[in-house]
Amino acid sequence: MLLALLLLTNFADWIPARWTSSDPSSLELVRATPINCLLLEKEHWSPEFLDKAAGLGIATLGVVRPGDALPKAKLTGLMLEGDFSGGGEPAAGELPVIRVGPRAHMDFAGGAPVVGTHQGVWPGINVTEEDAAKAAPTGGPWIDTNAGFLRFARAATKAEIWIANRPPPGTAFPTARYLQAIGDAAIVGARWVVSLDEDFSRRLLAREEKALAGWETIAAHLRFYQNQKPWRGFTPRGQLALVQDSASGGLFSGGILDMIAVKHTPVRAVPSRLLSDEFMEGARMAVSVDPAALTEEQKETLGRFTRSGNTLLSAPAQWKFPPVTADKITLSKEEIETIDAIWKEINSMTGRRNLGARLFNVSTILSSLVGAPAGTPVLLHLVNYSDYPVESITAHVLGKYTKAMLHEPGRAPRSMPVYVVEEGTGTGIDIDKVSTIATLVLE
Amino acid sequence: MRSLSRRELFAQMLGAPLALSAATTPTAPVAIARCNSYGEDQAALLGSMFDSLGGLEKLVRNKTVTIKLNLTGSPALKFQGRPLGVTHYTHPSQVGALAHLLGRAGARRIRFVESCWGTPGPMEEYMLDSGWNVRAFENAAPKVEFENTNALGSSKKYARFKVPGGGLVFPSYDLNMAYQETDVFVSLAKLKDHATCGVTLAMKNIFGITPASIYGDDAGKDEPNENPTKGRVETCHFGKRQPSSSAAPELKPASSRESGYRMPRITAELVAARPIHISIIDGIETMAGGEGPWIRGVRLVKPGLMIVGTNPVTTDTVGTACMGYDPRAQGAGAFAKCDNTLLLAEQLGAGTADLKRIEVRGVPIGDAMFRFSL
Repeated sequence: MLLALLLLTNFADWIPARWTSSDPSSLELVRATPINCLLLEKEHWSPEFLDKAAGLGIATLGVVRPGDALPKAKLTGLMLEGDFSGGGEPAAGELPVIRVGPRAHMDFAGGAPVVGTHQGVWPGINVTEEDAAKAAPTGGPWIDTNAGFLRFARAATKAEIWIANRPPPGTAFPTARYLQAIGDAAIVGARWVVSLDEDFSRRLLAREEKALAGWETIAAHLRFYQNQKPWRGFTPRGQLALVQDSASGGLFSGGILDMIAVKHTPVRAVPSRLLSDEFMEGARMAVSVDPAALTEEQKETLGRFTRSGNTLLSAPAQWKFPPVTADKITLSKEEIETIDAIWKEINSMTGRRNLGARLFNVSTILSSLVGAPAGTPVLLHLVNYSDYPVESITAHVLGKYTKAMLHEPGRAPRSMPVYVVEEGTGTGIDIDKVSTIATLVLE
Repeated sequence: MRSLSRRELFAQMLGAPLALSAATTPTAPVAIARCNSYGEDQAALLGSMFDSLGGLEKLVRNKTVTIKLNLTGSPALKFQGRPLGVTHYTHPSQVGALAHLLGRAGARRIRFVESCWGTPGPMEEYMLDSGWNVRAFENAAPKVEFENTNALGSSKKYARFKVPGGGLVFPSYDLNMAYQETDVFVSLAKLKDHATCGVTLAMKNIFGITPASIYGDDAGKDEPNENPTKGRVETCHFGKRQPSSSAAPELKPASSRESGYRMPRITAELVAARPIHISIIDGIETMAGGEGPWIRGVRLVKPGLMIVGTNPVTTDTVGTACMGYDPRAQGAGAFAKCDNTLLLAEQLGAGTADLKRIEVRGVPIGDAMFRFSL
């Protein structure tokens, strides 16, 4: 219990992973990584395993689903996974509980230290059969990502955000796909709960050489973000604010936040509930997705925003975002078409403006621009979702910077030459190559 | 697909009977050189090839030179994650080398152009999106400019180019002013197959001079759409719609809508309407089986070749032969599924597609040949 209480105070430092073994010796694999919190299915709650984990300072959370009985076990806590809205929640007693349910049921205002969901798309390049072969040139690829939803979630609460989606059943992913999942959440300050596919997990527990190498790479990528704890307190720096709420698209993947991010425009999510002058500080443009749902006070905040010379784009009054349900996290093709009208307006409003950073040659990359509360440093997080490294990236970051360092997992930070962008839109930096994740630190 | 054998090649060069007479069309020598890597000195390579053709200076001194690059398709579309320049785009090392050579040869103004896919934005940004170092190009020579010709760009009006003889599909084309405000027009192309034109060489590269604002799928009905976001498939490839009515409509709306009929004709008449003075074909590294990653079955190849000429038809004819195809084939080889662009251009008087009338300098075709068909 003492351990549980001690760990409770460090939720922000928990690096969670689903673990599929009750063999105490398997904890040696965990020890070599920054992972310090294991999510265990009931069959793995063996006393020997839990004791050894506790001895190593590794938290253990028992995974409980609706209706599950709760046998006694020396767990650190419980993770309630699934939809408990119909009941079936066990009596946890004094055990700390982390809820990882449907996005639609996430309680951002409830005061829980961790707010999570088990629903997510698997991050990566989405190439449809339709796109794969065309008679003439086409546009770029779409990136499946949870980052837009996680941006919203991070803005909606001070709690830690966990996304605990698993690899699609039957998949055997290369290591790079896990690195992308880690980066997809981390660049917006959330945590992906590491969850290996069945094949990888089996090979890892059997200590197969290739699986061990992949595991080490995953660990290096987790360590990359964990070693820079101050970064987690940095806040979004984009000059474009998207005012929306859970009911107006904030919980979807592939919604407006992702559409903006795929265009490489830095964007900050502003939950309507929290709309304030403070939240809007630094923004120059805003999009109000559901203006009819705003209170008079919130409308007045946006009024002050525009009276200060900033630009506001409001969705048409009759326009409504598709409804949120417990089993739905993405938009259908028809629903995407309904948001196309407002999307075109946003596109037209932002144009080629530098709203924090402009990135080039980044069709398979998503980014996140954040800054220290004091102003600098400013970070440009990058995640490459393709299976190939991206070479020759150019970043034009708004503002004057004299120093740029590129941080990557497993490498010493490298200094990047900076130059003034001729159009007067900031500082230019040419990045030679990004394999999977990297962070540009500007001062 | 039927390829050209060495025996057939030599038979052609020795004067085997031709389906079409080519005796009166212009000819010009073509230079072929070997180059196995973009790491080799591209300026030295191109410079020596120009020298073998009589020198670059006499062509460009005190002239405005406009260079049409081949940046086909969105830069977001990469093949197996490879840099665009080694698959289906012009290679940036040749852009820098050519700018340097043109500057050294005394060109007054050097302007790189392309109708950048799906955008009217600055070409510099499109090149950055392609992973190119634009600042290096700007520093390669004095007065280097870039113009995206997908819409009006920096001009206030379009220039009309009439097709000599009245045209095959369109009687004229409305193009960005950059194509008029030039003394020398260069096609900096890639050695590739093409799904609807057989081969993508110096001439097919010129299809990209058509602005999507007028010929695009989202072109305005009456006036150009100065913010085009799509390609030119419906208007040009398949003729499903007419260009903006500000430009001339099709001559024969009841003609075939097959892209294999339309695109070779459009390409040939564009070359006749907007003549190319210098054709440069990069076959160092490229792709076979199609012109871009959107074509199923494309593959990377390294022919290790450069081809340069002062007539686009003769240069493309030699290029086609170097790819292992019969340049005069009809319904076979590279032109199995489309009409022969080379012969159509020849019929329009742009140049000869008859190998026996083309002087090859440097590496002989037989030694340079790299078969593109499997």
